[in-house]
Amino acid sequence: MKWQPYAIAGLLLLPGVSLAEDDWGDDSWGDDQTETSTALQGFYELAAGTRLQTDPALDENLTLAEARARLEYDRYFGDTRFSAKVDLLADGVEHGLHGDLREAMVSFKATDQLDLRLGQQVLTWGTGDLLFLNDLFAKDWVSFFSGREDSYLKAPSASLKASYYGWDGADLDLVWTPKFTHDRFIDGERFSYFSPMAGANVAAPEGHFVPQEPDTALENGELAARLSGKRGSTEWALYGYQGFWKRPVSMNPQGQGVFDRLSVLGASVRGNVANGIGHAELAWYEGEDGAGNNPLQANDQLKALVGYEQELVADLTMGLQYYLEWTQDYAALSRADGGSPYRPDEYRQVATLRLSYRLLQNNLTLNWFSFWSPTDEDFYLRPSVHYRLDDAWSVTAGANVFGGKDTHTFFGQFEDATNVYARLRYSF
Amino acid sequence: MFKSHLQGLGQRTLLALILASPLSQAADLTDAQTIVSQANVASYYRGEDGRSEARMLIRDAQGREQVRQFTILRRDREDGGDQDFLVAFSRPADVRNTVFMVAKHTRSEDDRWLYLPGLDLVKRISAGDKRTSFVGSHYFYEDVSGRNLNEDTHQLAETTAEHYVIDAAPKDPASVEFKSYRVWIDKQTLLPMTIEYKDSADQLYRKVEVLKVEDVSGFPTVTKSRVSDLRSGGTTTMQFRFIKYDLGMEEAVFTERSLRQPPREWLRRPKS
Repeated sequence: MKWQPYAIAGLLLLPGVSLAEDDWGDDSWGDDQTETSTALQGFYELAAGTRLQTDPALDENLTLAEARARLEYDRYFGDTRFSAKVDLLADGVEHGLHGDLREAMVSFKATDQLDLRLGQQVLTWGTGDLLFLNDLFAKDWVSFFSGREDSYLKAPSASLKASYYGWDGADLDLVWTPKFTHDRFIDGERFSYFSPMAGANVAAPEGHFVPQEPDTALENGELAARLSGKRGSTEWALYGYQGFWKRPVSMNPQGQGVFDRLSVLGASVRGNVANGIGHAELAWYEGEDGAGNNPLQANDQLKALVGYEQELVADLTMGLQYYLEWTQDYAALSRADGGSPYRPDEYRQVATLRLSYRLLQNNLTLNWFSFWSPTDEDFYLRPSVHYRLDDAWSVTAGANVFGGKDTHTFFGQFEDATNVYARLRYSF
Repeated sequence: MFKSHLQGLGQRTLLALILASPLSQAADLTDAQTIVSQANVASYYRGEDGRSEARMLIRDAQGREQVRQFTILRRDREDGGDQDFLVAFSRPADVRNTVFMVAKHTRSEDDRWLYLPGLDLVKRISAGDKRTSFVGSHYFYEDVSGRNLNEDTHQLAETTAEHYVIDAAPKDPASVEFKSYRVWIDKQTLLPMTIEYKDSADQLYRKVEVLKVEDVSGFPTVTKSRVSDLRSGGTTTMQFRFIKYDLGMEEAVFTERSLRQPPREWLRRPKS
């Protein structure tokens, strides 16, 4: 039996073979908490999506066709954290190889009361679920409509965020974005959009929507502020924003899209209501056309939102929201726009429903999210299924379904963008 | 403050020594309520605060395995009463840097928040059913943060040489999936060592076992446990390491600030 010790030694040398009763894959507990961590993490993803109909304005039926590599790195230097997230993607719809720097920032405690986050970053605040009133940080509607993961709805910006925690009962956040960062809006590249001048949907190349951007100047930056606190279990916040509309909602006399200046003031509350969470949010949007006389410029708006979320039965959560967008000086707009059939409603309203059901030990998630506007008579449905095969592999499939009575309304114009998609991801 | 903190620690260590000494074993406890109250404190309220790293090995009936790894910070507002928890995940990759925060209330619903780093989103989560899977494991939320004692009736079924055996039943049977459970509480440490749950047909279907107890700063502390789902055949084994008590965490650690910028001071692994 001379071979036996060697056999055992051989077994011990095999990688991944553990003689311990419980095999966590390694016995190191990871080193991500230590000073010298240099681990590169991220995921690889293949994604494909296609229109369920053709769009007369676009030749391409694919709405998503990409191979994506996400690389993430974070490390502490002393107490300063450096983190970076880079996406590299081969895109078969907007043909080419693209890079997207999602994050490259340093964050640290400047003093006991002051946290700073500097650099390329994604920012979010407010209480809405996929409805944004006081959150004027950049969004990516192209990713959202094409079925990329939800987190891609948020586009990064190069910003400086300072959070002050020194007062009793209220915390202050200030975000300065020196170079105006607009939404990645629907510009006719991947999806067509309704053009009031053409009276129909248009798309690239002729209909590629290229707005005039504000000059890069100190006074053309964005400033966002939030004062927030908690009383008991109820959270409150006041918001302010100074910058521009995040989408080119106005036009110059030459018919080119422009970003008007915008100031926003708002407030929100969120807390326990009945057996769930209730939230309410208000925002006053003050643009450049205070009297409403210029039909090419967006009027002021009052936006209001109420919502409620509750777990109906174990692992099944339902969320309801009701949203109002009240366009001010509507009589002036009606007089000035020459009786435009495309004039938005004075009181645009949207109701949303979210259902989320976790099954199979949380490995399977069924999701439903719908926007429905009783005033525009249009809708946007987002069903999806997410399955984790294990800690590394996951698949997601879903649909983005648009429709409506008219071809010019907010969601109705995207009827021909209706698509189904699937994604396969390997995380490491 | 540092001095009083040290004094507090000294007193509690002394108290723990007294509790663990042969003297305290002289007379068995006889009141079920006293036993479960002390067991509750022994399991979930050691020290004024604590930090621990935890990892879970989730194994289904087919032998497929998943792993969870996270660091838990805890601070007691009152022994046996309200507590704050912060749970920062490091594995697997799809939940890395996700932070979960709970303000546990014994007299009202808990407040729960989740921070999703990809969106920089602080999401408020409705309190919901506490007997649902904790991050895909066979542990329930309630197993991790403790079940409210007022939810059940308790009876001392038996006192053996080593254990108090308690039978418990829910006051509101419709609110839970079990009809009853039996707990074996170690007489010396007052830690619940085994819990067996029975369904409406009196069938044993779920079991929680403590596999290892170690002394940490004078407190007997569970460092390994397992929950078995006897119906599906799945199990989750949980290990705790790098445990520290009485670090002097302040209430401000458990706020939105920590969700957006995790408190490295407490999360970093202690050197000793």
